[in-house]
Amino acid sequence: DQYRLLGENVAKLRTDLMKEQLATFRSQLEDFARKHKNDIRKNPTFRSQFHEMCAKVGVDPLASNKGFWAELLGIGDFYYELGVQIVEICLATRPHNGGLINLQELCNLLRQRRKSNREAVSEDDCLRAISKLKVLGNGYEVISVGKKKLVRSVPTELNKDHNQILELAQAQGFVTVDEVERRLSWTSGRAIDALDILLEEGLAMVDDGHRDRKRRYWFPCASSISSSMGADS
Amino acid sequence: MASNNFFVPASVTSSGRPVLVPNEVECNLLSNVDIEHDQDDAVSFPPLKSGHFILTTHRLLFLSSSCSSTAVAIPLSVITHIFSSKRSLKSVFHSPRFRFQVSATPDNRILDSDPGRVTGLRSVVITVVVRGKGDWELFLSKMWECWRGRAWETTPSETGPASASASASLYASDGLVRMVGVGGLLRKEQEMWESTDRSLQEAFQDLNALMNKAKEMVMLAEKMRQKLLAGSSSQSNSANDEELGSKEEMQDWLLSVGIVSPVTKESAGALYHQQLSRQLADFVKIPLERAGGMINLIDVYCLFNRARGTALISPDDLSQACSLWEKFDVPVMLRKFDSGVMVIQSKSHSDEEVFGRLRALVTKPEALRHGISASDAAMTLGIAPAMAKEHLLTAEGKGLLCRDISPDGFRFYINLFSEIILDDLFLVKDYGIYSTWVKASSASGFW
Repeated sequence: DQYRLLGENVAKLRTDLMKEQLATFRSQLEDFARKHKNDIRKNPTFRSQFHEMCAKVGVDPLASNKGFWAELLGIGDFYYELGVQIVEICLATRPHNGGLINLQELCNLLRQRRKSNREAVSEDDCLRAISKLKVLGNGYEVISVGKKKLVRSVPTELNKDHNQILELAQAQGFVTVDEVERRLSWTSGRAIDALDILLEEGLAMVDDGHRDRKRRYWFPCASSISSSMGADS
Repeated sequence: MASNNFFVPASVTSSGRPVLVPNEVECNLLSNVDIEHDQDDAVSFPPLKSGHFILTTHRLLFLSSSCSSTAVAIPLSVITHIFSSKRSLKSVFHSPRFRFQVSATPDNRILDSDPGRVTGLRSVVITVVVRGKGDWELFLSKMWECWRGRAWETTPSETGPASASASASLYASDGLVRMVGVGGLLRKEQEMWESTDRSLQEAFQDLNALMNKAKEMVMLAEKMRQKLLAGSSSQSNSANDEELGSKEEMQDWLLSVGIVSPVTKESAGALYHQQLSRQLADFVKIPLERAGGMINLIDVYCLFNRARGTALISPDDLSQACSLWEKFDVPVMLRKFDSGVMVIQSKSHSDEEVFGRLRALVTKPEALRHGISASDAAMTLGIAPAMAKEHLLTAEGKGLLCRDISPDGFRFYINLFSEIILDDLFLVKDYGIYSTWVKASSASGFW
């Protein structure tokens, strides 16, 4: 019984130690925040470096609103708000692109939206915000297709065939069945299957209006459309 | 630097700013420069490393980064020649540099006063190596201007301490900087420059120090967590409450440092998440009603944060808080579909209830003939089409519905296969959905 009491006391000692360490850490972070909160807010490069270092050390400054990082450095709100805005933009553009949007286009639309904010948003910031959104399901993810990065906001799974078609489409914004067969050396059945799924998921649009009667499949996410799309509703 | 007498000492204020003489105005600044001399000079000085190089109307000042309380100066008056910078192939690989020539006395000092009075002067070439990213070409051109401007030759009028150089002097008599006039503007600009550069350097240093501390915290937290986990399994139940208490505290601390621990069977997560969990359950009641009993988790994220305005919660916070619901008695639940979509569902809108409604919908004559689409289901159930689709898929999984993919799209029909007996394929029971279907189909004149 004595030993149990001793054990509890030892545990309590450790708890106090932890509390003390936590207080020291917090005050160090406060100092840092006082001096460099602005640097983090205004300088995307510094911000990105900050995140990398946190990752190396094993802490996630964006994990929780309750964390010291969010509370003292104020970066939580920045990224969580960014997350909300990204979701809204993805929802608004989904009827047009089926839930797949070019990262650059997303960043442009974001910047337009945030014009009044003096804080610059870098692609790195968007990527971080999106990686946080992942945990909410719904398939928010960044995928690489060819040289570009696309942001997915629907749970549609794209396999390698689909990815290859998307990559092909980046050249002109559209593909034809012939082109797919020729460039990727596929059978026509394979090409048509893949294209049909992409159509079904709303990622492609059909264009039968050309003189050569060849059907073109247009991909909104693969072409860099200028944001003359109108209202963000 | 103390042993070096080559340069003229310059005084600095307690915060490391150079003290300027009346009428002296700062014109430009380069950070992170080295000052060296040409090897073939007889007169030499130890090179100055890594400091701020400031050009004023009267002097060139070098402030060492490491020892900000000492500074040296080169009066512009002793400069005899400024070399034009040549771009060569070599210069591409090295840090940019520029050179100028000064007069020095035989005893290895820069000439501090009127050259007319001293004999035996030598020329010393000084090289400024620019290691920082400043615009050295601008600096150099300003240096030319200042050198030619010969501001040191116009002596300030000696009219009383504070008044006279009121507009020109940057330092008031009490030593504080006055931000007035052109001098003030120039000064502000530089201060901004200098402070940005200096503060970024400082920022990185501070960041490093902070990260080291954070690393310590992570290791300490791990140790504590192990101890608690080990402790709980071996100690008796009577100590459990205390254990739980400290476990929650522990989670709170981990959260503060930025370490996320998932909600497990034993732990109830951080106190913060527990509170958030209840808050969310309350908040989500109304939106759920409006949405027909089911909302996408990501929509809740947006709704909740928009309502909050500031002190937004992170996606992880939301996810943790929702997963705690199964431990509390709340009328909502978190549900994950196979597709990965996560929704918040009102417990009253259970699957059974939804299936009941779907069955009613899909056995109507119209539906028996043409099936239902996700939007049809959405309208009937009063929920979003995406949610409706999830329900239809789940119902299919349970054997209630069958899908039909055709050029008309993705539609669902009631599953009749369960009523068909393999041995007697054409038997239609009198009472059952199969017979209803037959009646409905024949009524439309299919056959």
